[in-house]
Amino acid sequence: MKNISKNSMIAFGLLAIMGVFPFFANSAWIAIGTTFLVFSAVAFSQDIILGRAGAFHMGHAAFFGIGAYTTAILNVHFGWPILATWAPAVIIPVVIALLVTGPIIHLRGDYLLVATIGINIVFIQILENDLFGLTGGPNGIFGIEVIKVFGFEFFEQIHMYYLAFILLGITLFIMKSLDSSKFGRAMFYINKDDIAAQSMGISIRYYKLYAFAIGAGIAGAAGSMFAVQYSAVSPEAFNVLQSIMFFTIVLVGGSASLPGVLIGTFVMFILPEIFREFETARYLVFGVAMILTMILRPRGIWPVKFGNIPSFLKKDVK
Amino acid sequence: MDIFLQQLVNGLTIGSLYALVALGYTMVYGVMKLINFAHGDLVALSAFVGLTIYTQVFGEGITSLIAVITVFMFTAAVIAVVGVLLERLAYRPLRTAPRLSAVVSALGAGLVIQNAIMLIWGPNMMIFPSNLFPSTIWNFNGIVITFTQLMILGLSSVLMVGLYFFINRTKMGTAIRATAIDQDAAKLMGINVNKIIMIIFIIGSSLGAVAGLFIGIYYRGVTFDMGWMYGLNAFVAAIIGGIGNIPGAMFGGLMLGLFNALISGYISSSWAETFTFVLLIVVLIFRPTGILGEKVAEKV
Repeated sequence: MKNISKNSMIAFGLLAIMGVFPFFANSAWIAIGTTFLVFSAVAFSQDIILGRAGAFHMGHAAFFGIGAYTTAILNVHFGWPILATWAPAVIIPVVIALLVTGPIIHLRGDYLLVATIGINIVFIQILENDLFGLTGGPNGIFGIEVIKVFGFEFFEQIHMYYLAFILLGITLFIMKSLDSSKFGRAMFYINKDDIAAQSMGISIRYYKLYAFAIGAGIAGAAGSMFAVQYSAVSPEAFNVLQSIMFFTIVLVGGSASLPGVLIGTFVMFILPEIFREFETARYLVFGVAMILTMILRPRGIWPVKFGNIPSFLKKDVK
Repeated sequence: MDIFLQQLVNGLTIGSLYALVALGYTMVYGVMKLINFAHGDLVALSAFVGLTIYTQVFGEGITSLIAVITVFMFTAAVIAVVGVLLERLAYRPLRTAPRLSAVVSALGAGLVIQNAIMLIWGPNMMIFPSNLFPSTIWNFNGIVITFTQLMILGLSSVLMVGLYFFINRTKMGTAIRATAIDQDAAKLMGINVNKIIMIIFIIGSSLGAVAGLFIGIYYRGVTFDMGWMYGLNAFVAAIIGGIGNIPGAMFGGLMLGLFNALISGYISSSWAETFTFVLLIVVLIFRPTGILGEKVAEKV
């Protein structure tokens, strides 16, 4: 396996640390760890859209929320077991992503950014106005059950932790497979020069929608896990501020960089958890940190080296 | 019909506020190609600064024309300074960086301003005194216009017309337009681009400051996080009108204000933002560069 790059070796190292983390931590820390894993999965799915496909997307919390609400509604209102809600929690965000981004996918840069903020705002208004009488309005839905498999209940934090760990593993596997597939190559060219890519017959529209679909699916799965972990969902967990956070994670960490996105998630979601005592001032510090990071490291804390040249191109160079 | 005319008046009032804020966005975007996400928070900051200047310097009870003018002038000056500092500290170091890095910096700056307001003035809603403007009300067959609304419409029209002539008729305005078209060429022609950007931030922030004060006077209650929603609406207005285009921002602001007021009047105000974004998408599908935007192919 001499093709494994330094970056992915570090990523595997980080994964190994995360795998044994629960044995050395108390349940409060395991809960934070679970959140970290879930948010990492969402951040990677944001990275597929923003970092790989280069679509300025600032509404990712909507897809995360659609997954969470799918699980919550099916479980609480219709009595489905959690396991049965997993498939819809992936499929529904994908379908909605295709339907709503279809008409706007051609928008350039900042226009797409504002339109995707719009997706999120419309989603929140639907939740708060309780459009179909299912979303519970501003209070959300609580009383989501735990996962049961053949009478065994996954009720402890550590169970959720490993479920989230598996989710992140699947996400990383999807990302790696994408990189070495036709999709990954197409993305790479579109990101480098979309006009040249188009003239080579690569359909930008098709691949960007493809990225949105995959991103929304992963975010939906993570949302389902999030709903089960907190046994409740409410609109403010999926508002535009969350979308901005996911957007920022990718850029602060380093877009299209696996360790970068992990570091980004750690910095953006976990550090604020740890510094909860400085409740009032922490977002001020946070904002300053965002500005400083961008000034000192405009391409993120851990940028991809040499652009993101896919390994099939590097093979001959070695 | 009465509802329609009443909402027309209300819509034009809100619309002129959106237009004032949208001008700040569109001017910065025109020259720097950056969504200045902190602009909305500057608007919120202005309401708080104005309130403090008014209550600290003049005391609650006194209202006079001089007091009001002083509050407006000082607040605009303070916000202009903050705007220039914002550009110096958060945007200038990133002028050659990837575009999204500057966006993140702008988001961070917005977070800083918003939380600074919260730390200084507290997280609760603050109420503007009601006596800043006389509470005169005109009633035309059931259509009510307040003195405040008339002031908002009047002063924003004056400011917008003034800005239009400044941009199109003066030497400095020509320099601004040249910088917006091509920064490098403008530099070669001896235009000091840094100075132009500073002027843009001074004008944009002062207009935003006026809008922020009017928001406080008109709606009375101000909160530290209100800037985000006004900012987003104003930015949508700027896009609808054609981003980078100054008459476009004015037109987009007025149009969005009217649209919002009619939606609130006839459908429901709890769906206002949803309709705003539906309008945005519809406009962008038919006019990808906004209603007054020029039809130019993007440079490769």
